[in-house]
Amino acid sequence: MDSRNQIGDLLERYWKCETSLEEEQALHSYFQGENIPADLQEAARLFQFFEMEKQKKLEENFEPAVTKELQRRRGGKIISLVTMTQVARIAAGVLVLVVATFFVRQEIRKSYPQEVQDTYTDPQLAFEETKKALQMIGNTFGKARHEASKIKMFNEAEKKIQGKAADKTSI
Amino acid sequence: MNLQTFQDRVFPVKNKLFRFAFRLLGSSDDAKDVVQEVLIKVWSGREQLDQIQNMEAWCMRVTRNLSLDRLRAQQRRPEESIERGLYVQGDHSPLESVELSESMKRIGELMASLPDKQRQVMHLRDVEGYSYQEIADILELDMNQVKVNLFRARQSVREQLQKISAYGLS
Repeated sequence: MDSRNQIGDLLERYWKCETSLEEEQALHSYFQGENIPADLQEAARLFQFFEMEKQKKLEENFEPAVTKELQRRRGGKIISLVTMTQVARIAAGVLVLVVATFFVRQEIRKSYPQEVQDTYTDPQLAFEETKKALQMIGNTFGKARHEASKIKMFNEAEKKIQGKAADKTSI
Repeated sequence: MNLQTFQDRVFPVKNKLFRFAFRLLGSSDDAKDVVQEVLIKVWSGREQLDQIQNMEAWCMRVTRNLSLDRLRAQQRRPEESIERGLYVQGDHSPLESVELSESMKRIGELMASLPDKQRQVMHLRDVEGYSYQEIADILELDMNQVKVNLFRARQSVREQLQKISAYGLS
């Protein structure tokens, strides 16, 4: 790779953008060496410039300073504290809502007392109430039966009319 | 993603981000600010980092966008102080060091004079060693545009170097 002609060819291909990354790396390595022919000096200077560019680095204290800044913003313990505060806020909101609902329901119950009282503590009264209820159902059932008989009458009349109509058509 | 994982995955690219920001802005302080901004931005969105296929390329893209925003805000072009602070390392005599330093300065100016896209593509390829596809991802260009810009940049640099050499300025 380091023969004069090979480097010359490679360099020519480099200027035309026909070299691979590996071939360009070989040129970088070659031009870092000693005894570069005079006609390749201008290219050597360019590749030395690239290498010099690669040496530019951030100062040593950059990384610790940035790490500190990242921790300050949203890092480690701080982020868990933020999360805990948010969860506590939501939990407090839900608790207030539940307690408020409980008290409102209590107030509504006090305002509207139950009108119907149970009677099972007095068997006689319970019997009378049940009797009344069954009588009411019985009366209503009787009325319904009477009304239903009218429907039956209509049905019989309809059948008679249909029967006569059928006789006429058969004649 | 916890802080340790973030440091292991993202911090190793910080110098590449810095060099790219420096190439775009021409100011070491501005470049440093941009890299810090990028790292904070990436940290803030760390929950989505797993969805990013090439995180390094993504960080480089964020660096580019923030650097360009900064340039726009300052309403200036980057070449004003681009090669300030350039130094020459190695075992050289004082005369050689001066010549080399002068030569590096000229090439730096030459690079800085390239159109924006050409300068960015050449930096990403020749300094950072990215593939054409990675450069396309970083600069949000298609592959052909990357190749065309790199070709023009290298041709332009070659012509300038030949002129410098012909007039004995190197």
